[in-house]
Amino acid sequence: MNITEYISSGILEAYVLGELTDAERAAVEKNLAQYPELRKELTRIEETNESLWMQLAVEPPASVKAKVMEAITPKGKVVQMQTSPVLRWKYAAAASIVVAVGAMYLAYDYHAKWKNSEFALNGLIAQNQQIAQDYNRVNLRLDKMENDLHVIDNPAFTKVIMKGTPNAPQAVASVYWNKQTKEIFLSIQNLRELSQQNQYQLWAEIDGKMVDAGVFDGNIAGLVKMKNVDKSTVTVFAVTIEPRGGKPTPTVETLQVAGSVIKS
Amino acid sequence: MDYLYRHYSGALYGVILRVIKNEDIAQEVLQDSFLKIWDKIETYDPSKGKLFTWMLNVTRNLAIDKTRSKEMSKGKKTDDIDPLVNRIDGRKYSTQQEETIGLKEVLNRLPEEQKFVVEHLYLKGYTQSELAEEFSIPLGTVKTRTRLALIELRTILKEN
Repeated sequence: MNITEYISSGILEAYVLGELTDAERAAVEKNLAQYPELRKELTRIEETNESLWMQLAVEPPASVKAKVMEAITPKGKVVQMQTSPVLRWKYAAAASIVVAVGAMYLAYDYHAKWKNSEFALNGLIAQNQQIAQDYNRVNLRLDKMENDLHVIDNPAFTKVIMKGTPNAPQAVASVYWNKQTKEIFLSIQNLRELSQQNQYQLWAEIDGKMVDAGVFDGNIAGLVKMKNVDKSTVTVFAVTIEPRGGKPTPTVETLQVAGSVIKS
Repeated sequence: MDYLYRHYSGALYGVILRVIKNEDIAQEVLQDSFLKIWDKIETYDPSKGKLFTWMLNVTRNLAIDKTRSKEMSKGKKTDDIDPLVNRIDGRKYSTQQEETIGLKEVLNRLPEEQKFVVEHLYLKGYTQSELAEEFSIPLGTVKTRTRLALIELRTILKEN
């Protein structure tokens, strides 16, 4: 099975939205068990779906909660005893009914308690997953920030601030460039969001020629590593908007920001 | 149960209200949903998805069954939706209101055809097949657009 094609057909989204027939759903579940990548993608979709619905939440009136709680709380039954003269076996029958009802009540009560624990457990598992996810996310961000700091803090890197052109007067981005290792990092201060079809492309001007230094999306945070350029004579860094994947030569009309390297 | 109710009743009520436009019936369905969730919790299988997805589908199916039993006509659906959605969103749930406005801004950043799909699926209570049928879009296209929209939304929501 071609996983990428399968995923991009949107079938997992339809699965999450409950749009599939029983047979289709069973097929998806079988695939989920078989391919871990599908399971991962499913979780991502579920998270987006859940946060959308959370944003659309509407508080129901308190009366609904009261009714739900009432309906799931076990109730005892009252057994009426006869006071008229009765024979021994009637007492015995009555006593056995009390015992039976009592046992039923206990069974019901335990069942309800067990269900409550199961609910609490599922709730806790969900919370726990959330916390683990948050923790990983924070950890990843911390690692990234530490790495970024090493670059920013390193005197071997020259910082070049690229200011907005008339196409985008408010735009600002910077490049950290290491002349020795030829490494380039880019950071966005202010660039507008692009559509899925387009990407930003960084260019380095070397001996009057624009050399490709890699593409990036408009929504990145922190530093992003770009392509190395193999000369140490870059005079200008500039960014244009190009079709996703970039082009061999820049489209000058879409120039967004540019900045000269200050000779040191 | 208390935790699940506190955490999810708002989201699930939102889901129901978008399918059923009558608040009294919607509350009935919400109550039925929680009782069904309570009843069927043993059948929830974490390997098949998150708890919320399961609860969402239980709830949504009940809501859709209800509209079918009431034989609400399709035409009525489109006509009545806009004022009602606005009414729901315009409520005095201050935080929710802000968030809904936030979501509208987010939606405006999507390409037109993706925004259309999300609005119908999430705000107007359509199913994918209803959407395909009513606007004569192939179901496969609705599915891929839903996917692209959710990818786009994932990145936007992550930033916020």
